[in-house]
Amino acid sequence: MNEWTLIEKLKQGDESAFKTIVETWQNMVYNTAIGIVQNAEDAEDITQEVFVQVYQSISSFKGDSKFSTWLYRITVTKSLDHERRKKRKKRFAFVRSLFGEGSEVIVNPPDFNHPGVVLDKKEDAAALFNVIGQLPDNQRIAFTLHKLEGLSYQEVSEVMKTTVSSVESLMHRAKTNLRKKLEEYFRDQA
Amino acid sequence: MCMKPGNDINQKIEGALNSLNGVQRAEPQPWLYARIMKRLSREEDRSVWGSISSFLARPTVAIAGLCLILVLNGVLLFKEEMEADIILTEQAVDSESLMASSSSFDYENLVQQ
Repeated sequence: MNEWTLIEKLKQGDESAFKTIVETWQNMVYNTAIGIVQNAEDAEDITQEVFVQVYQSISSFKGDSKFSTWLYRITVTKSLDHERRKKRKKRFAFVRSLFGEGSEVIVNPPDFNHPGVVLDKKEDAAALFNVIGQLPDNQRIAFTLHKLEGLSYQEVSEVMKTTVSSVESLMHRAKTNLRKKLEEYFRDQA
Repeated sequence: MCMKPGNDINQKIEGALNSLNGVQRAEPQPWLYARIMKRLSREEDRSVWGSISSFLARPTVAIAGLCLILVLNGVLLFKEEMEADIILTEQAVDSESLMASSSSFDYENLVQQ
């Protein structure tokens, strides 16, 4: 069954079409989410939210873009929303601790290990993910989509609704920032 | 042999930047579809209550509801007062008729006398 047939069937409420969609695209959605939020449990949660939204709002998909592009956009949006909620919770917990309320200990999570990285590169990848998390959102998204999902600059520009030259600029700035932060990281480790 | 620290760090930086070459996609835990369907059915249950409460929360609906409650209260209070008045009136009539019956005089006899 081709993509458009599946989408039409899903618009008519066909559950088997939805199951096929989930099975076809779950790895793409999950891998994108985990690259942004760097936590398996959160990525799983986001993946579920993405497909729930697909099910509930498939009628709003007009076919102006590829279905995968639409999925990437939803995944990126939900991942960034998740990150913002997490930061707000941390700030709130910190303010409460100033007033002596709440005894939650804020623990910085250990370095993230992406399960798909080859064994001999795991340590290097952990360092890289550490500094990717410090990039501004748009640089982080462009870098993650290109490096982790293997999207071309053209495809990244379609997801981010921008131009190819903007993506080139974002990638250049991302790499410059990553080099700077990696140098600080390795100097601190030495 | 003396290695320049700069070279060493540069090599590490390059190593880190290239560490995602050949990366495979991460995969979610099995039975994701079942978990999604469970979540969908939970959201559908919540949405029924959600739509009722959001309807009630609309300003016009909330104000109309408040006015209705005030009017009903007013009607009930008025009804209670009316009933209280009726009871008092009935009691007053009863006591007057009692007084009238206990202190009535036989006018006809009086006239005949």
